Amino acid sequence: MAKRKSRVKAPASAPQRGGPSRTLALALAGGSAAVIAAVLIVISVTGGGDKGAEPPLPTTGETQALLGDPGLFDGIPQDGLVLGSPAAPVTMVEYADVQCPYCGEFAGRSLPALLDEYVRPGKVKIEFRGLQFLGPDSEKALRLVLSAAQQDKAWTVLELLFANQGEENKGWVTDALVRQIGEAVAGLDVEQMLAGTNAPAIDALIAKAEAQGQSDGVRGTPTFFVVRKGVPPHQLELGSLDVSAFRPALDAALTP
Amino acid sequence: MRHPALRLAVAALALAGTAIAGYLTYAWYGGDDVGLCLTGGGCETVQNSRYAELAGIPVSVLGLAGYTSILVLAALDGLRSRVLAAGIAAGGLAFSLYLLAIQLVVIDAVCSWCVGNDVVIALLAVATALRLRVTDRF
Repeated sequence: MAKRKSRVKAPASAPQRGGPSRTLALALAGGSAAVIAAVLIVISVTGGGDKGAEPPLPTTGETQALLGDPGLFDGIPQDGLVLGSPAAPVTMVEYADVQCPYCGEFAGRSLPALLDEYVRPGKVKIEFRGLQFLGPDSEKALRLVLSAAQQDKAWTVLELLFANQGEENKGWVTDALVRQIGEAVAGLDVEQMLAGTNAPAIDALIAKAEAQGQSDGVRGTPTFFVVRKGVPPHQLELGSLDVSAFRPALDAALTP
Repeated sequence: MRHPALRLAVAALALAGTAIAGYLTYAWYGGDDVGLCLTGGGCETVQNSRYAELAGIPVSVLGLAGYTSILVLAALDGLRSRVLAAGIAAGGLAFSLYLLAIQLVVIDAVCSWCVGNDVVIALLAVATALRLRVTDRF
């Protein structure tokens, strides 16, 4: 009996399962986890303390210079949200959010070459379908683009907004920037554009693009479709936003 | 008390996490040359959001640092290493849950790679916590 008792007794020097050592270990692990998580979350919520001064607003001249000389869109017709000849046999649809950096990269890096190779010669026209899922600045910018579309200047305003993209949802679409851009676009009535941003027609365009995006299965931006009469729309699967990634699909669509 | 299987599981999960975080880091710095995260899914939306960076450091880099630390700690295997690994894993899990909530509520897009990471870090938090069932002293 005494033997059995001594067998179940733990030696005084060994720590018990669930004893102080384990409790201490759990407390230390829990404490360090709480510190790690708290620090990371606080930095994330406060924006990482990265609250540097806003970059200075470009001058009208600098803004105009972004369009190049001759102008990026010179010689290319704009009709509402469509850029290019109405007779172009192929349409490339672009779903984009004005705040999306990749959309801005496409506009700055590949669009000029696509315009030269496909749009200006009348082979392809590009239709903009604006989404605004990234936040308040997306909606504000999109409304300006859609309002400019009423004056057939959407693509020019869009290009300048992309070129002036600021930090996401930090209020970069300021009235001053908008006016600067408006004044840089030849032939645009800035007051008319500003007055029209909340028109029911703009609400309808936003709702339409959103519905089209859902129906087309758009899950991110930029997303591109190639459309040719009599052929179902074809979504481009791009591994890159380089102009070379667009050529195969556009050339194929242009081949009878 | 040693748990070789558990130690192996921690190492394997840390390796899986390193692979995911490594890919996302590669995608971040590789820019548009990396296709998997560019179109389709909410991955690029999440990667483009301000929550993808922490004080100028991509979140994926922090993940990479966390997973490799756990991997090294699993190799060292002292009680202090186990405690630190459990702390990093649990802290990482809490931060991952915060980011998941941000994806669902604020960004309104979910990155499949991030969800994969969430699963790995959750399993890792459990495995490293189980490794604290020890009888060693500090």
